[in-house]
Amino acid sequence: MVAAIKRVPGIVYVLVALIMGFGWFIPGFFTVSNFLSVIRQGSVLAVVSLGATLAILSRGVNLSLGGVMSLAGVVTGVLMHRGWSIMAAILVGMATATAAGWLTGIVIAGAGIAPFVVTLGMMSVGEGLALVISGGASVPGFSNAFQVLGQGYLLRVPIPFWIAVMAFLIVHFILRDTQLGVSIYAVGGNEDAASLSGVDVRRCKLQIYLIGGILAGVAGVVLASRMNSAHPSGGMGFEFDAIAATVVGGTPMSGGRGGVVGTMVGAAIISIMRNGLNMLGLPTPWQMTIIGMIIIGSIALDALKSNR
Amino acid sequence: MERAVLEMHQITKQFPGVLALDKVDFDLYPGEVHILLGENGAGKSTLMKTLAGAHEPDSGTIVVDGREVRIRNPKQAQALGISIIYQEFTLIPYLTVAQNIFLAREPLRWGMRGLVDRDRLYADSTAILKTLGISVDPRSVVSTLGVAQQQLVEVAKALSLNARILIMDEPTATLSDQEIEQLFGIIHNLKSRGVGVIYISHRLQEVGQIGDRVTVLRDGRSVGTYNVADVDINTLIKLMVGREVMEKADRRSLPNAPEALRVSHLHRNGVLHDVNLVVREGEIVGLAGLVGSGRTELARAIFGIDPFDSGEIVLLGKRLVATNPSLSIRLGLGLLPEDRKSDGLALILPVKDNVTHASLTRLFPSFILDFRKERAIAERYVRDLRIATPNIFRQVGFLSGGNQQKVVLAKWLATQSRVLIFDEPTRGIDVGAKAEVHDFMRQLARQGVAILMISSDLPEIVSMSDRVYVMREGTIVKELEGEDINQETIIGYAMGKGEGQ
Repeated sequence: MVAAIKRVPGIVYVLVALIMGFGWFIPGFFTVSNFLSVIRQGSVLAVVSLGATLAILSRGVNLSLGGVMSLAGVVTGVLMHRGWSIMAAILVGMATATAAGWLTGIVIAGAGIAPFVVTLGMMSVGEGLALVISGGASVPGFSNAFQVLGQGYLLRVPIPFWIAVMAFLIVHFILRDTQLGVSIYAVGGNEDAASLSGVDVRRCKLQIYLIGGILAGVAGVVLASRMNSAHPSGGMGFEFDAIAATVVGGTPMSGGRGGVVGTMVGAAIISIMRNGLNMLGLPTPWQMTIIGMIIIGSIALDALKSNR
Repeated sequence: MERAVLEMHQITKQFPGVLALDKVDFDLYPGEVHILLGENGAGKSTLMKTLAGAHEPDSGTIVVDGREVRIRNPKQAQALGISIIYQEFTLIPYLTVAQNIFLAREPLRWGMRGLVDRDRLYADSTAILKTLGISVDPRSVVSTLGVAQQQLVEVAKALSLNARILIMDEPTATLSDQEIEQLFGIIHNLKSRGVGVIYISHRLQEVGQIGDRVTVLRDGRSVGTYNVADVDINTLIKLMVGREVMEKADRRSLPNAPEALRVSHLHRNGVLHDVNLVVREGEIVGLAGLVGSGRTELARAIFGIDPFDSGEIVLLGKRLVATNPSLSIRLGLGLLPEDRKSDGLALILPVKDNVTHASLTRLFPSFILDFRKERAIAERYVRDLRIATPNIFRQVGFLSGGNQQKVVLAKWLATQSRVLIFDEPTRGIDVGAKAEVHDFMRQLARQGVAILMISSDLPEIVSMSDRVYVMREGTIVKELEGEDINQETIIGYAMGKGEGQ
């Protein structure tokens, strides 16, 4: 964790440079409304990235986050359209995502199958079920009360931001102050050694993917509220942005070190990149290309650093 | 005498194909250091793993504090006050010293499950380190510490469990003299507090320095327990070796044969220092030494898998100051690795592909495979080496260990290697196949091939070698010829007899 703190400054400079750079070139970048919009969009990514970081810290990976997000959003949306109360719909949407995370964790921990394979499958299951439940079309138009979650303000700051802050504080607390947190670093650092020391490796893994499911659920519901529409492939791609945020934030794919502070900076960098490139008028394909190159660059940098 | 803290009676453990432990008795009293001595594979580690909860014995009883126990997992071992410090550290690299000491047993905040009290974590760690006289900051991250400090953290971790039985597996293997002094100081401290220490060692001089009693294991059997004061090193060496072996009938001396391989002053930081050796055409040279003495590392450096920092290699007349496997193969060197399944063969590919893998460019300079030629070559070696396979299309993974080793041999014969390094050529293969492999090695030598044979199997070294080099701690400590090639002499040099006494 000390290592994580030492690494953060480097990417903070990147973040500041990015903001300054875009601000210089783009008229309208330094406006309150633009910042609020970046925050609103970035918050959803921040929440999912927390889930991705937990898996990567334990030397795993979670590709199912985006699919589970879509599923949670669609379940919530469909239930509200059927006249369920907002609260009940959200609860069931969240429960679905939690169950998906739990199932993923059970298979990974219980059967000892590689997280990459299991979560790749669960990504498909999540998206597939979202399509089935929604009948293949998006589920648009919700009550104002539901839209507040993704579009409203509290103390003049978008509500998704507060949700992301809450999620961050909880996950950060888990990593710093609980046995689960220490176990996650231990499993990522040296799984055999952790097991010999008495760490319950399976329970640790189960909890990682369970929490991942919950976070994906939160992100999915907030996304649906922000868009005022639950799209069956709304979460698609978030799992990769989340991995990118984690790695850019200084947690290597080999696990064992890093942490969620860096991931939040990583999520900010990616969100600001998106926003800035958008405002520059760069078409989406070019945005994808540039962001992809940044991800490879930061992984390469990490590899060079750790080889030294 | 007070009651033993640990008694092991008639412990037996069978692994597929090997009887690892055969009715072993062992005991330990509070406040003593009981040294466990034996060759590689004598069963020391297996015996300790039955205490650590890593293996359950097939039969026999373990009694702790007068109560018979069964130890099924590491947690149960901990609960009984048994702690083990493995040779490979079990510390987590990016956690702090304190987090490692209390891993999975963190002090809890407000007694709440799962909630770590970090203030107490660091306070308790500081206290433990202080009582042991270990000066390491509990907040430093383990990966930033040196090996010796990590070792001490392991000790602290073991003792924070209130261990009354502490097992140390070759704790001094990587320590400097000064660090060893410090460790011994801590062991004395533990003794005075009534902790019983089981100490596995490969250094004979340590028996007298730190031990109270010593037990020698050989081929999975206990061949005796002695008070250290009543036994000398030569007796211990005899006990470890035990069996007499047939002398090699035709040990040849070929001082005038051309040099096929010469290694001069080879150095690789922290691994190999000043290694010098010569292998002549037609000679079988044994490379003996304990596991971890640097034999495999030397083979890897010669073959070009690992780089070396200084020194040179002369291979069939070519001077090399750096090398790589493809260059070595082109010049006529072959390596039969220790772990043939992962390093020597492609298990899911058929016999024919494995045979031709290392010689594709030689056989097919145009880069286009000639299926008939490939087939003819594979069939020839299957016949010549009597590889038991239904046909050359069989996946190598389905063959027995002995036949797999023959396929590796065929691979190097196909490259027409003039120098072959065999790393543990007969490990894990049955007696019949072993004799065959030995025959092929002798035949090759007669045809002028130079062979460097690494082996932990002392009878194999003694019966096969024309000359023997003994390695210890990354360098060659002795060259043996003729009459001097016997098990006692070899193990004596391998374990540092005569050093530091």
